[in-house]
Amino acid sequence: MLTYIARRLLIIVPMAVIISFIIYLALDLSPGDAVSRMMSPERSSDPARLEALRHALGLDQPLLVRYWIWLSGVARGNFGFTLTGGVPIGQILSERLPATLELSGTALILSSIFGSILGTISALKRYSLTDNVLTIAGMIGVSVPEFFFGLVAIVVFALNLHWLPVGGRLLPSYTNYWDHIPNLILPALVLSIMMTAGVMRYARSSMLDALSREFIKTARSKGLPEWRVNLLHGFRVALTPVIVLVGFRLPILIGGSVIIEQVFQWPGLGNLFVTAVRNKDLPVVMTIALLSVLLVLVVSLIIDVLTALIDPRVRIGG
Amino acid sequence: MRMYKAAAVALVLQTTLLGAAYAQALNGNPLSDVRVRQAIEYAIDKKAIVENVFGGYAVPADGLLPNGPFKSDKLNAYPFDPEKAKALLKEAGWDSSRQLEMVYYYDDQVTANLMAVLQSELADVGITMNYHLIVGDVAKTLSSIPDDPKGKSVVTWDLAYGARAAMAMQEYFNDYATGKASSDGFPGSPDLDALIADSNTATDPEVAKADLKKIDEYINANALTIPLYYQQLQSVESKRLDRHGEPYGNDQFNYDWNVQNWTVTPDSNGKQILYTNGAPIDYFEQPWVNLGLWAGNKFIWAHMLAAKPFLDGVAEGDLAEKYDLSADGKTLVFTMRDGIKWHDGNPITTDDVTWSLEFAMKTPNLHGVLASVFNSIEGASDYLAGKAEHVSGISSDGKTVTIKFTKPNANTLLAFTQWGPFPKKSFEGVDPALVQQAPFWQKPIGSGPFMVEEAKFGDFSSFVPFADYYKGKPKIDQIIAWASADGDTNMTKNAAAGRIDFAVTKVVGDIEALKGMDNMKMTPLDIPYTRMIWINQYDK
Repeated sequence: MLTYIARRLLIIVPMAVIISFIIYLALDLSPGDAVSRMMSPERSSDPARLEALRHALGLDQPLLVRYWIWLSGVARGNFGFTLTGGVPIGQILSERLPATLELSGTALILSSIFGSILGTISALKRYSLTDNVLTIAGMIGVSVPEFFFGLVAIVVFALNLHWLPVGGRLLPSYTNYWDHIPNLILPALVLSIMMTAGVMRYARSSMLDALSREFIKTARSKGLPEWRVNLLHGFRVALTPVIVLVGFRLPILIGGSVIIEQVFQWPGLGNLFVTAVRNKDLPVVMTIALLSVLLVLVVSLIIDVLTALIDPRVRIGG
Repeated sequence: MRMYKAAAVALVLQTTLLGAAYAQALNGNPLSDVRVRQAIEYAIDKKAIVENVFGGYAVPADGLLPNGPFKSDKLNAYPFDPEKAKALLKEAGWDSSRQLEMVYYYDDQVTANLMAVLQSELADVGITMNYHLIVGDVAKTLSSIPDDPKGKSVVTWDLAYGARAAMAMQEYFNDYATGKASSDGFPGSPDLDALIADSNTATDPEVAKADLKKIDEYINANALTIPLYYQQLQSVESKRLDRHGEPYGNDQFNYDWNVQNWTVTPDSNGKQILYTNGAPIDYFEQPWVNLGLWAGNKFIWAHMLAAKPFLDGVAEGDLAEKYDLSADGKTLVFTMRDGIKWHDGNPITTDDVTWSLEFAMKTPNLHGVLASVFNSIEGASDYLAGKAEHVSGISSDGKTVTIKFTKPNANTLLAFTQWGPFPKKSFEGVDPALVQQAPFWQKPIGSGPFMVEEAKFGDFSSFVPFADYYKGKPKIDQIIAWASADGDTNMTKNAAAGRIDFAVTKVVGDIEALKGMDNMKMTPLDIPYTRMIWINQYDK
C-alpha cells in the first residue's frame, strides 16, 4: 500500500500542473483582462494609460511567459499579488481562509455526523413514520435553493426573533474568538442543513443496500445482537459511499460556499473567488483553483485508502 | 459683457447647426439615416417604461443632459407614436428583414425586463431586435471605432444600452468628437466638434452652458443617441441619523456635506455609531478614480476645494483656504490652510500638493475630468513624455501653489473640488502606473474628517474621528461600514436589521423594500445620470 500511496502522491504534481495550465488557458481565452475590468464602461479612459498599466502588471507578455512566472513563483511559495489591488495573495489567504474553514468545516462536520446518523435511522426504520418524515425533509433539503433557506433563516431568526445577527463575521467590539460565534451559527446551520440532506439520502440508500447483503444475514444467523449487526457490520460497509461523498465535498473548505457567503455577508474565499473570476484577477483565481485541485487529488487518495481500511472487501495497489 | 458674449455664441450656433439633420442614409447602414433613428425614438414609450419597469423611480428623458439649469427648451421629446414611427421607416425604405442587435452590460433583472419591453415595442413598428448581455471587455466592445470615420464598423452591435454618470456636463458629449473612441457609434461632424471644443474651454459658465444646450439639441434633432430616462439617486437614512440641516447633494461625488456635524442616536453605551456600506472588499480604492463613490473615499479624504452640493460651483476652500483663478482661466493660485494635518499627525505641505499633482498625471486610471484639466497644465506633455523631470507649470512658494495652464478649461475648479493630495512620503518608490497596488491602500492615511481605525476586508471597516480635522472633530464616535460592491445586494437586509444609517441606492428593488421600513427614510436626489441607447451608425 505504501508504494501505491507514494506513486499516487508523485502523480499529483504533474496532474496539478496540467490542470492549472488548462484553467489558466481557459481564463486567458475569455474576453478582456484585469485592466479592462478595472475601468467602468460608464466613463472614458485614456487607452495609452491603460496600456502602461498592462505593461506594468506584465499583462502584455505572452501567455506561456505569464504562466511560467506564476508557476515558478508558486513553486517557491510565492503566490504573487492581486492584479487589481496589489495585495499579497498570502495575506488574503491568511485573512479569508480562516473564515471559510470555520464556516465550511463546521457545516461539513455537522452534516457528515447528522447525515450519517439520520440516514441510518431512516434505513433501519424503513417505511415507518420516522423514515417518511426524514425522507421528505431530505427531499426538501436537497431541492430547496440555499439562498432561499438562508433568507428565511435571516427573516425568522435575525429580523423577527432577534436571536442572531443578520450577517457578517466580525465587529470592532469583538475582543475574543468566541464573540463572533453567534455570527457563525446561522450560516453554518443553513449550510449544514443543505449538506445534511444529501448525506442522509446517500447514507439511507447505502445502508439499505448493506442490510440486504448476505454477510448481514450470516451475522444475524450467528445470533449477534441486532445493534451489532447493524452498526458493526451494516453501518461500517454503508459508510464507504458516504465517505466518498463527504470526501469530495472537502474542496469547499477552500472554495467556500459562494451563495451562503453572499447571503450572510461572510468574508470567505468563495466570494473572493467569484469576484476574482469576474475581474480576471488571474493570480487570485489560480491560487484558489490550485489549492482546490490539490485538495481534490489528495482527498481522492485519502478516500481510496480509507475505503480499503474500512471495507475489508476493497484492496488497493494490486 | 457676459450676456453679450453668450448671446453672440448662441447666434453663431444657430446659424451653423440648424438644418443639420439629413434625411438619407450616409452609408450602407440604415441606422445612419436619421429617419430610422427617429422612428426608434417614436417607437419607445418612455413613460410606460418608467412606470412599469422602474416602478416610477426614474424620469423620462428627452435630452442627454439632466433636467435643471442645463436643460434646453428646444428638445423634441419624441412622444410615443408608433404610427409616426412606421411612417418614418416606410419613408426611409426600412428593410423589415434586417435584424438589429442590441447589447447591454447590466446583469440585473430590471435590465432584462427593459430589453424585453424594448424588443416588443420595436417589433410593433416592424423592427426585429435581438439582445444580449456583453461579457468580457465591455469598454472595448462598446468603444471600438474604425480608424477611418467612413470605414466599416469594427463592432457587431447596432444598439447599445448604457449610461453616462457625469461629474461635469461636458462628459456627456466629449465622446462625440470625431475620432474619439466612443460608445455613441457616431462618426462625428465638424460643427459638433467645434461646439464640443468650445464647451470645454469656455471659462464663462453661461457660454459653456449655451454650448452644452446646443450640443444636446443637435443630438436630439439628429437622434444620434436615444435618451431613455434619468435615474435618481436615493439617499437612504435611518431615523437615528440627524444631519443637522447639512445639505443633500450628489453623493456619487464629493461635496461640502459637513459630515463632521452629523449625529446619530447614541447606543446603550452612549456611543454614537453610524452604520453604512461601501467598505472595501480587499483594498481601499485610490480616490482619484471613482472620486466620492466609496465609504473610505468619502469619509477619509479632504480636497483642495469643496463643491456645492450638486457640483454646480465651488462652495468654499477645503485644504486650500483661498483660491484665485485668473480671468483668462490660465493661472490658478491656491493658498493652503494653516495647521492642516494628515491622519498620522504630519503637516500637509505644498510639497505634498505639487508632488501629488505630478504623480496623479502618471496614474493609469485618473478620472477623465481630472485628466483633462491636469493634462493642460504647462509642461504636462513634456513631463508625460519623459522629457522633463517636473511639470513646469506647477510651482509652490510658502503657502501658495501656482498652476499655469496652456488653455482654459471649463472644469478647472470643479476638478479640484474632487481632487486632494496624497502624503508624499508614503509613496516613495511607488511607480505611478501601479499606484493602486501600493501597500498604502491597505490602511490609507487620509486628510478628511474620519480616519481608518481598522479594515477587515470583505467584512467591515471602522472609521473614527480625526481630532485635528480643520473643521473640528466630528461628533459621531465611530463609523462602521460593511464591505460591499456598488449596488450593495445586502443593503436592505442590513437596513431592516438596523445596520444601515446612511447609504445611497439606485436599485428599484431596494427602493421598494426600503419604502416599507418604518425605521428608514429616503430622499430622492437629481444627479446627472442618464440611461440611453447608443446607435452604431458606422457602415456595416
